Amino acid sequence: MPLLTGKYRLEAILRRSNDKGTMRPANMTELEHSEPPLQDVAKRASSLFAPFWMFKEVFNHRFLVRNLIRRDVRGRYRNAMLGYAWALIEPALFALVYWFLFIMLSGNPDEMYAVWVLIGVVVWGCFGKSLSATTNSLVGNARTMHLVYFPRVIFPITAVGANFVVTLMSSLVIIPILMVYDLPITMHLFWVPVGIFLAGIMALGFGMMVAPLNCVQRDVGHFMRFVVRAGFFVSPVMWTAEMAAQRGAWGEAALYNPVVLPITMVRHALEGKSVDLPPEVILSSLIITCVLLVTGAMVFARLERGAVKYL
Amino acid sequence: MTKTSIKLENVDLHFPKQRNALVMFYDWFRKRSRRFTALSEINLEIYQGEIVGIIGRNGSGKSTLLRVIAGIYPPDNGTAKAAGEISLLAGLGTGFSQHQTGRENAILYGSILGHDEKVMNSKLEEIIDFSELGHFIDEPLRTYSAGMKARLGLAVASAIKPEILLIDEVLSVGDVKFKEKSKKKILGMVENAGTVVIVSHSFGLLTDICDRVILVDRGRIELIDEPQQAIKRYYELEG
Repeated sequence: MPLLTGKYRLEAILRRSNDKGTMRPANMTELEHSEPPLQDVAKRASSLFAPFWMFKEVFNHRFLVRNLIRRDVRGRYRNAMLGYAWALIEPALFALVYWFLFIMLSGNPDEMYAVWVLIGVVVWGCFGKSLSATTNSLVGNARTMHLVYFPRVIFPITAVGANFVVTLMSSLVIIPILMVYDLPITMHLFWVPVGIFLAGIMALGFGMMVAPLNCVQRDVGHFMRFVVRAGFFVSPVMWTAEMAAQRGAWGEAALYNPVVLPITMVRHALEGKSVDLPPEVILSSLIITCVLLVTGAMVFARLERGAVKYL
Repeated sequence: MTKTSIKLENVDLHFPKQRNALVMFYDWFRKRSRRFTALSEINLEIYQGEIVGIIGRNGSGKSTLLRVIAGIYPPDNGTAKAAGEISLLAGLGTGFSQHQTGRENAILYGSILGHDEKVMNSKLEEIIDFSELGHFIDEPLRTYSAGMKARLGLAVASAIKPEILLIDEVLSVGDVKFKEKSKKKILGMVENAGTVVIVSHSFGLLTDICDRVILVDRGRIELIDEPQQAIKRYYELEG
């Protein structure tokens, strides 16, 4: 391979003889100042600024984020005859089962109940699936983590992003509902994607806290599976905020579950109104979401450094 | 004048041996730690324009050292700094998706390696040409053979000119004919890159292209010297 030897060899030899033979010239220090600075090989955020840094990195790596989300979504509906239609069929089938269950348990629901369950399944699905996906986002990408460096926060972000996209597809189910139930088409339908986004953000904040821990101990992943299953029942999927409000103190306490806000927001959007919950419930839900996101980003920034060593 | 391109100072790197949280807590309480030291007291300065080889026995820490430079493993002690964009050539095709076509995977893998959108769009045809996949480029990746995947991976990875190029053992992939081509391509990359660090077992190649060779042994730098000297020392260590 003689093609490379000459140039580099010569430089190196010259440099070495320089280093050994002569004293460092006095103006060397001045020259060094003009050099491009050496930077840490992996830029990592200090915990304090982690939330802002996270958004910046996602923006800088938007091409990567987009491609990873596409990979996730494509992979999910691979080799399926019905393909993307499953994003609609799956929640519809679940809603059917829950509707049937409800009729068996407590008799006559109002005629819109089946729709509310379906909305509940869709929005909860965004939260639940995002949460499981973020929890496993680092463990599942172990090989990539060992071979390529890009800001690790991209992994939970794409996990949530993919579920957000899928849920948006699921939410197309609203169109036939609007027609069948003859619901008003209003500007308030704008709240549908907002609600879904909110559910995703909650899952992201929560998931970022546990994803690095899951690398150390897989028990975290098993426990989170339980959290998602159990969360289903204490969230308004099979019930609505209105039902809970009629059930006394426990019912009112249940409204402080942060997931109540996004689900109710989407349901009310279909009714043609903006979210109609007590203001203290809305406020507490938004505060919890912000706190989850900020602490999630901070915890993640603190723990992700070490996480790769456990994979 | 010689500019510093990569600088490692007092780098130590440990891997945890114990992952049981209860035991970890007990160890922390007793101020004890069970860990495996992968690298210790690494001091290294590589200058711009240099081609540096890393040799050592299996498990001596060559790849780990390279990954510290790439930013994958944050050092437990000391600092790792570099001037300019770093690209690590290792495990070609990391993150490939079985269910997307070759073309989509080329873009995906390119973005994983940190190529930006403009570069990928402008180089895509060149990448496809180089991979010699023909009509397979629009077939799903699950229909590819291992060699075809490797060819696509190499074509994407070699499409950029990073300021700092790190190569971990990937020098040639594919069949005999493609091997020659890929070797040539990588050497072309080496020639164009600002600084190159290369982990390899082919001493002949290292002797030909490297300015200096680092001999790593049991997580420490044993020697940094002219290729012949380092290789000689390697055989002495081998015994």
